[in-house]
Amino acid sequence: MKAAIQLERVTKTFKGKKAVDDLSLTVEAGTVLALLGPNGAGKTTTISMILGLQQPSSGKVKLLEDDPRSPKVRDRIGAMLQEISVIDNLKVGETINLFRSYFSRPLPLDQLLLISGLEKEKDKMATALSGGQQRRLGFAMAAAGDPDIIFLDEPTVGMDVTSRQLFWDTIRAMASRGKTVVLTTHYLEEADQLADRIVVIDRGRVIADGTPSEIKAGTTGRIISFTAGAGVTDIALRRLPGVTDTEWSGRRVKLYSGDTDRLIFALVENRIDMRDIEIQSGGLEEAFQALVQPAKEA
Amino acid sequence: MNTTFSATWAQCKAELLRTIRNRRFVFFSVIMPVAFFFIFSSTVGSDVKIGSVDFTSYYLMSMTVYGVIGASLTSFAQRVSKERVQGWIRLLRITPLPSWSYVLSKIVAQGVINLAIILVVFVVGGIGKQIDLPVSVWLESGLWIWIGGFAFMALGTLIGSMRNPDAVQVLALIVYMSLSILGGLWFPTSTMSGAMQTIAKITPTYRLGQGAWNLVGGEAIDWAGVGILAAYAVVFMLISAYIMKKQEAV
Repeated sequence: MKAAIQLERVTKTFKGKKAVDDLSLTVEAGTVLALLGPNGAGKTTTISMILGLQQPSSGKVKLLEDDPRSPKVRDRIGAMLQEISVIDNLKVGETINLFRSYFSRPLPLDQLLLISGLEKEKDKMATALSGGQQRRLGFAMAAAGDPDIIFLDEPTVGMDVTSRQLFWDTIRAMASRGKTVVLTTHYLEEADQLADRIVVIDRGRVIADGTPSEIKAGTTGRIISFTAGAGVTDIALRRLPGVTDTEWSGRRVKLYSGDTDRLIFALVENRIDMRDIEIQSGGLEEAFQALVQPAKEA
Repeated sequence: MNTTFSATWAQCKAELLRTIRNRRFVFFSVIMPVAFFFIFSSTVGSDVKIGSVDFTSYYLMSMTVYGVIGASLTSFAQRVSKERVQGWIRLLRITPLPSWSYVLSKIVAQGVINLAIILVVFVVGGIGKQIDLPVSVWLESGLWIWIGGFAFMALGTLIGSMRNPDAVQVLALIVYMSLSILGGLWFPTSTMSGAMQTIAKITPTYRLGQGAWNLVGGEAIDWAGVGILAAYAVVFMLISAYIMKKQEAV
């Protein structure tokens, strides 16, 4: 397998602050990679460096085994950036055609309109589209050159349920054709559904890397929640064995733990006043919380 | 290579489409100069002369210059600023489109637009008021305005390098109107006071107009004027390149 993306000990410093800190990552061709992390974790900076929009302070970045800035590489990648970019006074079809003209082997316009669900909007001005439609136009532009690697920064923000479903289908179709897809997202469900590899970044470092099920299994992603009686204090709960974090909303408390079986006994032995007990096994959401939260408090 | 050529061509076409669809452009660069020309040439009368040139021919040149400048200052500056703010430039940087192709297509498209304005104003005004000038003078003055017009593209780029497109619109309009009035495009400088005439001589608008007025009057182009206009173009380009570099770094 060829490496689509290679980051070797990449660091990016902004005014003395490390946005990306000694990060190494190799992505094989044909992977659907989801890059997760809290806001300001360094996801966008990492993607900017992979795309050659920013240069690393130290370390090496290779895209398709070449310099990301080389025109040959650019002909084979596509990207949908976080900010919506449409240009005034051009129609949807014209905007897509303009982008198609940049690439040596573009996809047909009709196909691009189809996968972005913009067939009816072809003759509308791009600036007249809704936010979600503009994101879809951005996707059509990213896919215009039939890229081998496509980057999608928060692709489905502002899309309705139907558009999101269409979008996911398209991503899966691209992946099945051997394309590499890199996406960042806030919707963990999206990462869970689409990705075959998840990399979690926090404070510029990779803190977890694996398939969605590995990520879920490998973290302390189990939760006991209950409505606590008046005498129950946060300090008392945190003292219990295996509690990694607590979260209160009113009298409802969530205990995060790697071993909820032992914790439930501990709760009973300590005669904690509990009602409406629930035990949740970890979804990706919880796994993500568990990964990111302790790092923040440390 | 073939892709780059067709991409540059597509980029030119897109620029032209965006300009023609811009109502501001049509108003300031076509309707307003033509309307001003007919209004003023009718009220002033055909026997009035500015220097050795009759007012009608003189004012046709003024209004052509006014239209060409308007295209660069209002619609071009606005296009530049919108592209920068909306992240369009960032998006283009990750496509295979070389940056020279982007710049070239902007220049070519603006050249076509300016040429079209010159033709429209010349034809409509020339026929409407039966202006009788030798063919060589039509060609020379048209060519002069066309070439000199590129200096204002540099000024348009400078104004467009500001971050806020709304501010760009207002600023562009202020610069456009004040330079046009100060430079004697609306009212000939000979009607101005001595102090105002001195100010007029340092404006790039006056210098672009002066070349055309000279040609219509059977004189040669003033080379000092060419120098001043070129100096403005260089300064505008340097400042806007500096601003854009600085913004890029952030």
